[in-house]
Amino acid sequence: MLDQLISLFVALFEQTGLAHLYWGNFAMIGVGSAMIYLAVAKKCEPFLLIGIGFACIVVNIPGSDLAAPGGLFDYAYKGVSLLIVPPLIFLGVGAITDFGPMIANPRLVILGAGAHLGIFVALILAKVLGFTLPEAGAIGIIGGADGPMAIFVTMKLAPHLLPPISVAAYSYMALMPIIQPPIMRLLTTKAERNIQMAQLRKVSRLERIIFPVVIAIIVNLFFPPVAPLVTMLMLGNLFREVLLVGRLADTAGGTLLNLVTIVLTVAIGSTMSAKTFLSMQTVEIVCLGLVAFVFGTASGVITAKIMNLFLKTKINPLIGSAGIASVPIAARVSHIVANKENPKLFLIYHAMGPNLAGVFGTAISGGILLALLGVK
Amino acid sequence: MTPIPDNVEGAFLISIIDFILSFVIISGIGVILAILPVVNRYWAIDEKDLKGGH
Repeated sequence: MLDQLISLFVALFEQTGLAHLYWGNFAMIGVGSAMIYLAVAKKCEPFLLIGIGFACIVVNIPGSDLAAPGGLFDYAYKGVSLLIVPPLIFLGVGAITDFGPMIANPRLVILGAGAHLGIFVALILAKVLGFTLPEAGAIGIIGGADGPMAIFVTMKLAPHLLPPISVAAYSYMALMPIIQPPIMRLLTTKAERNIQMAQLRKVSRLERIIFPVVIAIIVNLFFPPVAPLVTMLMLGNLFREVLLVGRLADTAGGTLLNLVTIVLTVAIGSTMSAKTFLSMQTVEIVCLGLVAFVFGTASGVITAKIMNLFLKTKINPLIGSAGIASVPIAARVSHIVANKENPKLFLIYHAMGPNLAGVFGTAISGGILLALLGVK
Repeated sequence: MTPIPDNVEGAFLISIIDFILSFVIISGIGVILAILPVVNRYWAIDEKDLKGGH
């Protein structure tokens, strides 16, 4: 009788998740909790970290089939891996983005390329560590600090690396307010950080309407591999700028963007299961991602300093780091660092120029990478 | 097209080509942006009319 009772309780216990917990689950639950802590206590990109952190905790509770094939989170992940979600994110981002600062100061678009050295440093280091060239390319693109583009390029080059790459890309994007400022201060003098920038010219409605159409043509013509993302970005922006279809712009940049953000963050968090995520390869990718962000930030600031050697009207080099993309987080970091230095400095509008150019810089780098590796 | 070798030299090669081409192409976009204001000489859009809806 007693034996039967014990075996019954053991069988019951075996059916609970508790019986299958191991140290890896605890570690990943800790990582998920840390993400939620950073979002809530430190206000680090809560829109990204809350969904990722929560899904990370849930998928590490044994017995939960949410991320298993056919589970709810699995469908969210399919939306990402089938490349449906990233273009929709770009549509929404385009609908809420004012490209005026970039149009108004075309010189600053150079920073969108200059701040992408991190991509190539990470790519070369990944190759040195033994990754294949397509895998190294996918890892390098983390340095573009553009989540949807990182997912897009990874799905084309090394789909099996999507979980660690997307987690690294989004986590570092959220942590940019912590990663970037020390590098920016290290590479600039007090005088440079205090450079006041001239007010930008007013961009006409006609220019704003022509811009997305011209960019969509150029990208589809020269970079077909990354055209879906940039085309949707430009469509969203056209909705915004024509002023005639406010409902579409509001939906794309509001409800739709919120919905796909929920799907995206849950999908990324759901890939953080201890069994698949805790590996040496993940550690290497996460470290390479950090290297990419550090070098990207540094190269952006240095590019701005080099530009100052040739410009009559100097630019504040703190906006250089915004060229890394990650709109608008990187621009906000530039503004905050400058504003802490001198409360009279208001750099956000100026930093948005290179920040937006960074989106194109990542798309261009990704497009060239795919073309050079023969991927369509 | 000759495939890029899957080794460290290949990684250097792809990085150098990509980095330089990125500068060239983004500069091209910069040039287009610089000449964009020219359109204002030929046409102006009445924003009030647009905001009025269709």
